[in-house]
Amino acid sequence: MRRHKSVQYLILAVMLLVGGYAVGRSFASSGDVLRPGDKPPSFRLADLKGEAHTLEEYAGNPLILNFWGTFCPPCREEMPALQQQYEAWKDRGLQVVGINLSEDRHRVENFIRRIGVGFPILLDTDRRTERAFGLREYPTTYFIDANGVIRQIVSGPLTIEEIDERVKSLLDGV
Amino acid sequence: MALIQNTKCECGHQNPAGTVLCEACGKPLDEELAASDSVLEMRYDGMARRSQKPKPNLIDRVWNFFSSVKVAVWLIIITLIAAALGTVFPQESAFVNLTDPAAYYRETYGTAGAVYYALGLTRTFESWWFITLLVMIGASLVICSLDRVLPLYRALTRQQVRKHLQFITRQQVVYVGPIEGDPEAWTAKFAEVLRRRRFKVRTDGTALLAEKNRFSRWGPYVLHIGLIVFLLAVLTRGIPGWYMDEYVGLDDGELEQIPRTNYFVKSLGFSVELYSDEEMPEHLKGELRPKQFTTRAVLYECVAWCDDVTRQPELREVAAHDIQVNSPLSYKGLRLYQYDFAEQPRLISVRPTLIDKRTGRSYGPFELPMRHPPLTYSVGPFTLELRDSFPEFSLDENGEPVTLSREPNAPAFVFVIKGPGLPEDGVPYLYFPREVDRQRFGQDRINGEAAELFDIRVESMEDVEFSTYTSYLNVRVDRGMPYVWTGAAISMIGLLMGIYWNHRRIWLRIDDGVLSLGAHTNKNTYGLRAEVAAALAKAGIVVDAKSLDNRRKES
Repeated sequence: MRRHKSVQYLILAVMLLVGGYAVGRSFASSGDVLRPGDKPPSFRLADLKGEAHTLEEYAGNPLILNFWGTFCPPCREEMPALQQQYEAWKDRGLQVVGINLSEDRHRVENFIRRIGVGFPILLDTDRRTERAFGLREYPTTYFIDANGVIRQIVSGPLTIEEIDERVKSLLDGV
Repeated sequence: MALIQNTKCECGHQNPAGTVLCEACGKPLDEELAASDSVLEMRYDGMARRSQKPKPNLIDRVWNFFSSVKVAVWLIIITLIAAALGTVFPQESAFVNLTDPAAYYRETYGTAGAVYYALGLTRTFESWWFITLLVMIGASLVICSLDRVLPLYRALTRQQVRKHLQFITRQQVVYVGPIEGDPEAWTAKFAEVLRRRRFKVRTDGTALLAEKNRFSRWGPYVLHIGLIVFLLAVLTRGIPGWYMDEYVGLDDGELEQIPRTNYFVKSLGFSVELYSDEEMPEHLKGELRPKQFTTRAVLYECVAWCDDVTRQPELREVAAHDIQVNSPLSYKGLRLYQYDFAEQPRLISVRPTLIDKRTGRSYGPFELPMRHPPLTYSVGPFTLELRDSFPEFSLDENGEPVTLSREPNAPAFVFVIKGPGLPEDGVPYLYFPREVDRQRFGQDRINGEAAELFDIRVESMEDVEFSTYTSYLNVRVDRGMPYVWTGAAISMIGLLMGIYWNHRRIWLRIDDGVLSLGAHTNKNTYGLRAEVAAALAKAGIVVDAKSLDNRRKES
């Protein structure tokens, strides 16, 4: 090998590339569960009017993403709190989006109408988005900053005060 | 100014630094080695394996690290121990639906489980450090082989016929003795004897080199190439679409999308066949053991509106198969195996009749699916509008109707019936398809006056479609397998080459009527002794094979 320095370099470089790819992949696959600091996976879901919306639409402003279903009592209980916070902060740029856990549209519409929810509701189908997010409990709420990075993940119902303090820190971070 | 010191042999050949035996004549170059009479170390025929650099830089140090066999052995031992640890408790990847791994391991295996999880051993084979070990073994495979195969190739293809006397008399198998007659004629005759024993012979007057099965020396390197191909093939699992190991659970008649693909699979029906008592041994009679279970499955491919969430995707049937254990549905590398089933009775759909109690006439039946029911139904002169539905009906603490889950375990439907003789806004009617729910929640009491106007009921069991079992299918894609097999085949060939055959060489020279013969092999020296003795016997020299063995003479 004494004469073929370039071959040595080449082989070590290939090793580094292949090895780096293999090890890098192991990091990617261990990220099934989202953690604060991650960016959420993209989605494309229909709203109650049948129009499609993507995650990218909400970039540039803080976002509260709430996964909920009518079959989950704490989800039902926290809806009015989310609505109140939406009204309180929307003029400061806060966006609230509720993603329903793959229920029929008419069920969702009835519930939304009864509670008086004003923020957009998107309909997940076939549990695709909840699986992509690695959801384990309901409700789960993601507090996402204006750069699209998750700051906090809360499993379980939230009160108005709990949402309020988190929104403040989201807006402060802007 | 040359930093590399070369060593010139007495035969005139210039050898690179680090050479043990002269590349041309085979004379030991080191003073001490030349003085002793031990059997010569014939690794790489004594060629220098690596250049001796006075100041190895980083690249050289990395290269030397990976080209060390000792390092490779340690890497293998560490990987072995790590892999063994990974088999102590079931890995996370073995579970279909593990929602809280930390809790599971703690609860099932106690402290040992909690420690196991904390150390990351529940994901041993996917962890970064295990993959790093494998990458290092791969690097070692490549660099060890390269560092050795090139000198070996150079050594074996540039062999000189006439070797130094010390080289010959210090081989593993040696014969020295007088020869009668013309030496050149004797050499030529002996060459013929060896050729008949399938040696390739080159002569140089009174010197001879006979060689057999050189190809077997490449065996270990072919083996290593095979292993590298194997490792790279396993790496291809990372390419999107090349590997899948997912589970899909289907009730009878249910259609589900296979995650991350454009394929949908539908179960037309699942059935279980049990062993009859006659087929069972004594101690098992009376037990329910499945003999065979089958999912009649259909595979669809999405051809339009696949990514459009606002529309239903358009599907085209591409394959159908009765999936049984070890008999998967196979389509373009996608395989659906029968994995498991669970008894989970579920209502799929009903076909109820609408009875107008005022006239006594009945209309319908109409199709009412439990999942994704349509919003309007035309039944005779009436129209039923679906206002609300509850897959698992219950009443909350305020007496308000809610659903307990998303599964149709206790379905209820709120219709508004419009039609002749009815108010314009319609008559609300709550309908429970299951009789037990109807009684439990008092359907007629809830409906009040509407219960006296109408009845919605299923007339016979024929109009009820239910699923008794949920069938679980394992979806597999593994496009890297052919390459894995290729790597394995190459490894096997290399193993055979290296182990089944051995590389034999015989050198001889006749000086003043004295024959000096030396022979070397990489394996099975006993066999070589016997072969040399037999060849010599054919040439008229009878010796005992054991007396040819030079290795015993070491003290």
